[in-house]
Amino acid sequence: MANVPEMIDVPNALKSKVSYGPDGVDAATIERAEQIIAGMQDQYLVWVQEDLRKIQAGYDKVRAMPVEDRKDSIRYVFDVAHDMKGQGGSFGFPLMTNVANNLCRFIETRPQFGNAEMDAIRVHIDVLRLIMAEGITGDGGPRGEKLMRGLELVVEKFAK
Amino acid sequence: MGIKLERVNFMIVDDNPPIRSMVRQVLRTMGVALVREASDGSDALIQMRSEVPDILVTDWVMSPMDGIELTRYIRKSENSPNHFMPIIMMTGFGERRRVFEARDAGVNEFLVKPLSAAALFSRINAVIERPRQFVRVGEFFGPDRRRRKDEWSGDERRGKPPPPGQAKQPPSPSPMSQSEINQVFNP
Repeated sequence: MANVPEMIDVPNALKSKVSYGPDGVDAATIERAEQIIAGMQDQYLVWVQEDLRKIQAGYDKVRAMPVEDRKDSIRYVFDVAHDMKGQGGSFGFPLMTNVANNLCRFIETRPQFGNAEMDAIRVHIDVLRLIMAEGITGDGGPRGEKLMRGLELVVEKFAK
Repeated sequence: MGIKLERVNFMIVDDNPPIRSMVRQVLRTMGVALVREASDGSDALIQMRSEVPDILVTDWVMSPMDGIELTRYIRKSENSPNHFMPIIMMTGFGERRRVFEARDAGVNEFLVKPLSAAALFSRINAVIERPRQFVRVGEFFGPDRRRRKDEWSGDERRGKPPPPGQAKQPPSPSPMSQSEINQVFNP
């Protein structure tokens, strides 16, 4: 028997908590908030070094394991990469987001992590480190495009 | 004339302190007075015992309790502090299957990182100004994906396969844009 949807009107308690006025959120407020995000870039440069250290340490640990034990442990590398993906673009380093995204997708889709897969992960980590070492902001222009294409070629080998 | 948020109580749930700090500062700039932080879903639920937020902004990937598990708990558990709590998921995941998984867990709005203040405010504004009815059907309980009461198509669930000959295009593995995601959550 098909389920009959039960529709529920929810009292909008939030609406009663807000008001409207000239000192409310407007375009200038949003712009100030965007500037605050941009202004945190200096802090990001410190945080990302810690993330790079964590992802390398996580990688080294997994690499030292027997192949059959790597699948579960690679999750830590994924989680750090996922954090880096979320942060990079917010702080002016969208290429970090793109590379970390590529790495996350690769880890998600591999059934196992032999040495070839681990080499591919290492290349991604090396590129993340390179971007920060050279301070490649924005999408990196032609250099960024070349780096991304190189990583895509690395991943494509595993799709065959 | 803009909306004033100083009386709206937020909770940010993210295991990444820098992201929590960033969201907190963005909310403060928008005039929000009360922002609390939790490092994962279980930490959030513990904190909600003392004060229930008006709006929850949560990451997806966290341990031990992730953002999807937290959403399901809030929507379905008999111990939930508020089954109707507005939940904005803020995550690096933008793939179609992830977006729909979040929607089917009962998330109100979905925001893809990297974060922008404009995108966050847009989703906050949506849950305040355009709240949806809730629907209970089958295993699902959460915000209805349709704005109007008279649009019910009779389908039991959103994921119901289309009739033969009307098959939709296969889902793309590439991430969805924020505007595409907004359409999924606000048709």
